[in-house]
Amino acid sequence: MSNDIWHDDEHLLASLTAAMREAEEVPPRFVEVGKAAFAWHNIDAELARLTYDSSEAEAEPAGVMRAQDASLRALTYATAELSIEIEITPDAVLGQVLPPQPGRATTYLASGPAAEAAVDEMGFFAIRPVPHSAFRLRCVMTSGLDVKTGLITP
Amino acid sequence: MRDDPEVIALVTAARDGDVEAWNRLVERYAPLVWSTCRAYRLAASDIEDVGQTVWLHLVEQLPRLRVPAALAGWIVTTTRRECLRLLRVTHRVEPADGVGEAAGPADDQQDIDERLLAYERNVALRAAFAQLPPRCQHLLSLLMQDPVVPYSVISIRLGMPHGSVGPTRARCLDRLRHCPALAALIDARADTTGGGDRREQ
Repeated sequence: MSNDIWHDDEHLLASLTAAMREAEEVPPRFVEVGKAAFAWHNIDAELARLTYDSSEAEAEPAGVMRAQDASLRALTYATAELSIEIEITPDAVLGQVLPPQPGRATTYLASGPAAEAAVDEMGFFAIRPVPHSAFRLRCVMTSGLDVKTGLITP
Repeated sequence: MRDDPEVIALVTAARDGDVEAWNRLVERYAPLVWSTCRAYRLAASDIEDVGQTVWLHLVEQLPRLRVPAALAGWIVTTTRRECLRLLRVTHRVEPADGVGEAAGPADDQQDIDERLLAYERNVALRAAFAQLPPRCQHLLSLLMQDPVVPYSVISIRLGMPHGSVGPTRARCLDRLRHCPALAALIDARADTTGGGDRREQ
């Protein structure tokens, strides 16, 4: 990088032009979504620990495989009080809360809540559609338990 | 990379829940995420998906970021990884045939370092421009337009004599050069090109 960039007017103006273009190319919405991502920081739910991830458990004995189709992604998140088993199918995020209890489950993208579904008395839920990009899941149970997961990359 | 005290302050504040600091980090680095994705020739909607993932990861990583000054490098690496993952899941790139890397820019550290230096320079240029008086901003904006705006038009738009456009341009560029945001960078660069041993990491 030559010092001309700083000391020569033509170079400086050309560098400034390139720098301004670089920022102008970015759609305002892209920046807004990024800013909105911070809201998750303030959601006061308990962060559940990832205890099982099928994508990192390839060597597991066949008998332990829970997903019938090996291509389906299965994950388990747990806190001291409950666990959430998740299966990501092509059209839905399926979940089972244990011990079974009702509530609501919501997927979150950086831009905010994406889709939500009721968790039935048996602790089952199905959220449609599956987000295109990485998301988090939050389960607010009628018992008062409020749990969020880490980032899930479909 | 320079240990930019501004970045360190923003990361530290965002970590403590300061939403303004987070917003400024996003403003600062959104063009880096965007241009990195563009290098993989992703469509605008795909870039939005990558962006969502990168920002969510960053919110999660903030408390664990050991060296805040390494943030830009982390952003580029994470963005590249997400671009490749997206290309893979949309079957545009087969993971096994080794073209994954070929779909994007070379991934070596030197390449990333050079890109980050150029990026930080652009951040400094934009910051310096924002510090200029409105009249200089207006004049330079006209001078940066493509196609070129003739001096005769600029003189009418800014209500200044034709003969003053050139000298004013020189003055405004000199002010830009001496803005604190840019002056620090120029000094650092002069040190490194001078071959001294004060070269910063």
